[in-house]
Amino acid sequence: MKFSLEWLGDFVDVAAAGGAAGVRQLLDQAGIPIESVARSGEDSILDAEITPNRPDAMGHRGLAREIGAMSGTPARDLGDRYAEPPSQGDATEELTSIIIQVPRQCRRFGARLVRDVRDAQAPERVRARLAAVGGKSISAAVDATNYVLWDTSQPLHAFDFDRLAGGLLIVRRARRGERLVTLDGVERVLDPSDLVVADAERAVSLAGIMGGLDTAVTSSTRNVLLEAAWWDPVTIRRTARRLGMHTDASHRFERGADPDAIPAALNLAARLILESAGGVVAPGFLDAHGAAMRVRRTTLRLSRLRLLSGDSRIGLDFAEEALRRLGFASERKGKRLSVQIPLFRADARREDDLVEEVLRVWGYDRLPSRLPPATVPGSLREPLRAVEEKLTDRAAAAGFFETVSYPFVDRAADEGVWDEWLRATGTAPEPLGIENPLDATRRHLRATLLPGLLDSVSRNLRHGADGVSLFEVGRAFGAPGEPDRPESLESRRIAFATAGEMRGHWSTPERLRAADFFDAKGLVERLVEPWIAPEDLAWRPLRVGAFAPGAASAVDAPGGRLLGIVGLLSEEERRRRDMAVPVYAGELVLEALPSEPRPYRYREAPVHPAVVADLTFAQPRDLTWAAVTDFVRRRGVENLESLRFHDRYEDPRDPSGPVKATVRLVFRSPERTLEQQEVNEAVRRLAKEMEAELGVRV
Amino acid sequence: MAQDTVQKVLRLFREEAKDSALSRAEFERLKGRFLGRDGLVPGLFGRVRELAPAERGEFGRQANAAKTEIEAHIGRLGEELARREASERERTSAVDVTLPGRSPRGGGLHPITIVRRRIEEIFLRMGYSIADGPEVESDFHNFEALNFPPDHPARDSQDTLLLDRAAKSPLLLRTHTSPVQIREMRRHGAPLRIIVPGRVYRKDEVDATHSPVFHQVEGLVVDRGISMADLKGTVSTFLEELFGKGIRTRFIPTFFPFVEPGVDVAMTCIFCGGSGCPKCKGSGWIEIMGAGMVHPRVLQGVAIDPEEYTGFAFGLGMDRVAMLKYGFPDLRLLFEGDERFLRGFSEQA
Repeated sequence: MKFSLEWLGDFVDVAAAGGAAGVRQLLDQAGIPIESVARSGEDSILDAEITPNRPDAMGHRGLAREIGAMSGTPARDLGDRYAEPPSQGDATEELTSIIIQVPRQCRRFGARLVRDVRDAQAPERVRARLAAVGGKSISAAVDATNYVLWDTSQPLHAFDFDRLAGGLLIVRRARRGERLVTLDGVERVLDPSDLVVADAERAVSLAGIMGGLDTAVTSSTRNVLLEAAWWDPVTIRRTARRLGMHTDASHRFERGADPDAIPAALNLAARLILESAGGVVAPGFLDAHGAAMRVRRTTLRLSRLRLLSGDSRIGLDFAEEALRRLGFASERKGKRLSVQIPLFRADARREDDLVEEVLRVWGYDRLPSRLPPATVPGSLREPLRAVEEKLTDRAAAAGFFETVSYPFVDRAADEGVWDEWLRATGTAPEPLGIENPLDATRRHLRATLLPGLLDSVSRNLRHGADGVSLFEVGRAFGAPGEPDRPESLESRRIAFATAGEMRGHWSTPERLRAADFFDAKGLVERLVEPWIAPEDLAWRPLRVGAFAPGAASAVDAPGGRLLGIVGLLSEEERRRRDMAVPVYAGELVLEALPSEPRPYRYREAPVHPAVVADLTFAQPRDLTWAAVTDFVRRRGVENLESLRFHDRYEDPRDPSGPVKATVRLVFRSPERTLEQQEVNEAVRRLAKEMEAELGVRV
Repeated sequence: MAQDTVQKVLRLFREEAKDSALSRAEFERLKGRFLGRDGLVPGLFGRVRELAPAERGEFGRQANAAKTEIEAHIGRLGEELARREASERERTSAVDVTLPGRSPRGGGLHPITIVRRRIEEIFLRMGYSIADGPEVESDFHNFEALNFPPDHPARDSQDTLLLDRAAKSPLLLRTHTSPVQIREMRRHGAPLRIIVPGRVYRKDEVDATHSPVFHQVEGLVVDRGISMADLKGTVSTFLEELFGKGIRTRFIPTFFPFVEPGVDVAMTCIFCGGSGCPKCKGSGWIEIMGAGMVHPRVLQGVAIDPEEYTGFAFGLGMDRVAMLKYGFPDLRLLFEGDERFLRGFSEQA
C-alpha cells in the first residue's frame, strides 16, 4: 500500500522524524514494514505492508499516528481540515432521508449533499497526491471520495442525487435474484446475504464494495450525495468473495472501519468538491444509526505487562504515555490502568493486545533476551517418525536419493494402473478430492507415492541419466478413516524406484550392470531388517496393472499384514512414461512395521565345526524356492543349521524344461563334531524325500 | 680314492650352482641331479658298502658334510627363486591404481531432510520434543482454534486447498504446522516444549519462490513465567546455531491471529553480513521467521489457564532455510527429483 511522505507531513513532522529513512525505521518498530521507498520529485513514496488487523493505518492520517507514537513527536494542528464546511440553504435532513433496515450490519450511515456543482477537475494538490499513491483522477467529486479514503481510510461513495428515485436511501438486504450493474459495468446477481443501498425503487450500490453505474456521478451531475458508512466486516467479505470482487473500500470494510471517522470524512470530501467544482453544501449531515457500537474498556495490569515482556524496567508511566500517543485514553488505578479503546482500533480487545501496544512503543529490540531453563530431555512424540528416519537413512545408504513430489494426482490417469495395490492397501475407492485444485486435471490426493516418484525417474532418464535410484518418504491419502480424525485418512509410506545401471563399475560386465528384481527385493529386505528379519518376510506373486506379469510380488509382515509391493514396470507402463530401460519399483506401508526395532541380542558363537554339503537337483520350473525351504523346514532335518540357495542353471535351449538348482546345506551340532558319514546319510535321505514329494531329480 | 669322489661331487656342485639366477626348470634339474633319489649325493652313500670298514667312518663324515652344504645351498637357491618368482608375479599383476574403485553407490538425503535434522538436533539439545500431525486437517485445528474466525481476512494470507467443505469441521490441507500446537496442547496440556516439522500446503502457483507444497517447522513452549525475553533468547540462539555465530537478530511487531504480541524475526543478511546487498534489498536484514506469545484465546481453547501459563510460538520455512544455507536459486528444484540436483547435497559428491 502506497503512502506519500509529503501527505504524511500534514499530520506529523516527518523531517523531525528523520525523513524517509527515519520514518521507515519508526514504522518498522511499529510493525508496519516498508517494502520500498521510491523518490518522486520532492516526495518519497513508501510502500507499506499493512497487516489485516490494522485498517486504521490504511490511510495517511492513521499511518502518521503510528509514526508520531513511535517517535514521540506531537501531532500537528489540523485546523479546519475536517470541520463542517461553509454551508447554506436547506439542511441535508430536509432534502433527503435514510432508512436502515439492517441495524447490525450498518451501524452508522452518514450522508452530505453538495448542490449545483459544475463539471470540474479536482484541485492540482489532490490530483498529485492521488497519482502519488497510484490513483487515477476522474472528476472533482470522485477524486474527493478517493482522496478521503487515502487520507482517513474511510471509504466514501458519491451518488448523482438526481438519479435516486424518491431522493432517499434505504439500507437493506438484496432481494433474491436482484440485479445491479456496478461501476465496472458488470451486472451482479444478488441474494439476501448481500447488503445494498437502494433508492425508492432499486438497489443503487453494492454496500461497502462498489457503487451502481446508473446512479454514479458523471460530467452532467449537478447534485452530489456523499455516503460514508460503517459496514459489518463479515457480511462485506462474504459478498465480495462470492462475487469475486476486491476494492479499496471492501478491503477496509472487511477489516473494520471507524464509525467515528464518518463526519470528518464527509466534511473533508465536501470541502474538496466545493474548492474545485463550486456549488453549495447543504448544512449538517444526515447521521443515521444502526445498533450502537460499544466502546470497550480493558484493564492493563503492571504484572501482566512485566510477565509477558520479561522486562522489569517497564512501568505504568511509560505504558500510559505510549497508549495516549496511540489514541487510547487510560486511567490509573493502583498497579493497573483502565484503558478505553478507541473505535478505530477494533483489533485491540484484550489486555494482551494493550501489552503489545505498549511494547511496540517501547521497542521489541530493547526487551531482554534469555533462554528458558531446560526441563526434561526431548523425545520423538510419534513412534512412526523414528521408523521414517531409519528407513530414510537405510535407503540413502543403499544408493538411493531422497526426493519430494507433489501429492496432487489425476486418479484415473495416474493411479488407474495401481488399482490392485490401492485396493490391497484398503484405500477407499473414493479418493480424497480437492474442491479448488490448482490444476483441474490433478484434483485428487495421491493414494500411493509411486506415480509421482516414477515421474521423477522418467524425468531423470530423459535428461540422459544411465541409471537413477530415487525414494520418497511421505503420506498417501484416502485411507478409509473418519473425517473427524483426519489423521485416520493418511498412511505413511516409503516408495522407491531404480532404473537402468545399478552397478556401473568398469569391472562389471555390461550385462550385469542393470538393476534386476533381486536388487529391488534385496532393498526391501535391507530396509526393513531393523524390524523384521529377512527370513520372516513372506513373498507372493501379485498382479498389479503397472507391473509386468510374473515379475511383481507382494510382501507380508509376520502375522500376514500386507507390508508392500515390489515389481518390474510393465512394458506398457514404460512406454507410457517414455522409459527405455527396465525400472523396478516398490512401496511399503509404514503402519505395517512394528514401531520398535528388533532388540539387539547376543548369540553364542558355535563351538563345533560345521559340515557343508551341496545338493544339486533338476526341478520343475514352477517349483518355488519358498516351497523347497518350506518342505525342508517341515521335515525338521536333524542338526541342519541353514539351507541356502547356491546356484541355478537354466538351459537356454530348453526355456520351459527343468531347471538345475544347487542348494547348500550346513550341518552343525551344538554338542559334538559331526561325522561326514552321518551328514552324507542325512542329505541322501532328504534327497530321496524331495524326489518323492517335490518331483525333483537328484 | 673314495674321498676324491666326495670332493669331485662337491666341486661339480659348486661349479653347476654358480649361477644364482636359475630358472625354475634349471633349479629343479640341479636339485634332481644332486639330491634326487638317483642323484649324486644319495649315490655317494651307496658306495659306502664298497669301502673298507676302516675307511667308512671318514668317508661318511665327509659325505655328510657335503650333503649338508649342498642341501643348504639348494635351499637358499630355492628361496631366492621363490622370491624372484613372487615379485615377477606381482609385477605382472599390477593394477592401474588410478582406475575408479568399486565403492557402494552413494545415495543421499533431500536438502529438506538435511535442514530438518539439523534443526531437530538443535532443539532436542534444548529439551524440545518433536511432534507430528496429519497433513489433512480440519478447519477447526488449522484455523478456528488458532483464532482465525470464519470469514476473517487473516485467512487470505493462507490460501487454502479445500478437501471437503461440507464436513462438520471442513477438511483441508493444512496451511501451516500450527494445528499441531492445538493437538499437542489438547493431548498433553502444559508445560509443553515441542517443535513440529512438516509438510504444508497452500494454493500457490508454482514459481521460483512459491510452491503449493512446502515445509515448515513450528516451535511451541508453554510454561509458567514464559516471556518475550525467552522467545528472543531461544530464537537468537537457534538462528546462531543454524546459520553461524555472529548472526544478529531483529524483532519487530507483526500480526498473526494466534499470537499476541506478534513478532517478525529478521537476521543479519548472510550474504553481505548486514552491509546491504541485492539479496536483502539493501536493508542488511533477511526476514526469517514469525513468532509471538501464544494468544490467550488459543490457550483457553485448549483448557490451559492463560493466567497460570504463558507461552511463545515461532515458525519458519525450511525450504527457505535450505535455499539460504545452500544458495540454490529456485524453489522448484526441491520438488523435481532431479538426481543431478540431489547429488549436489550428497556427502559422496
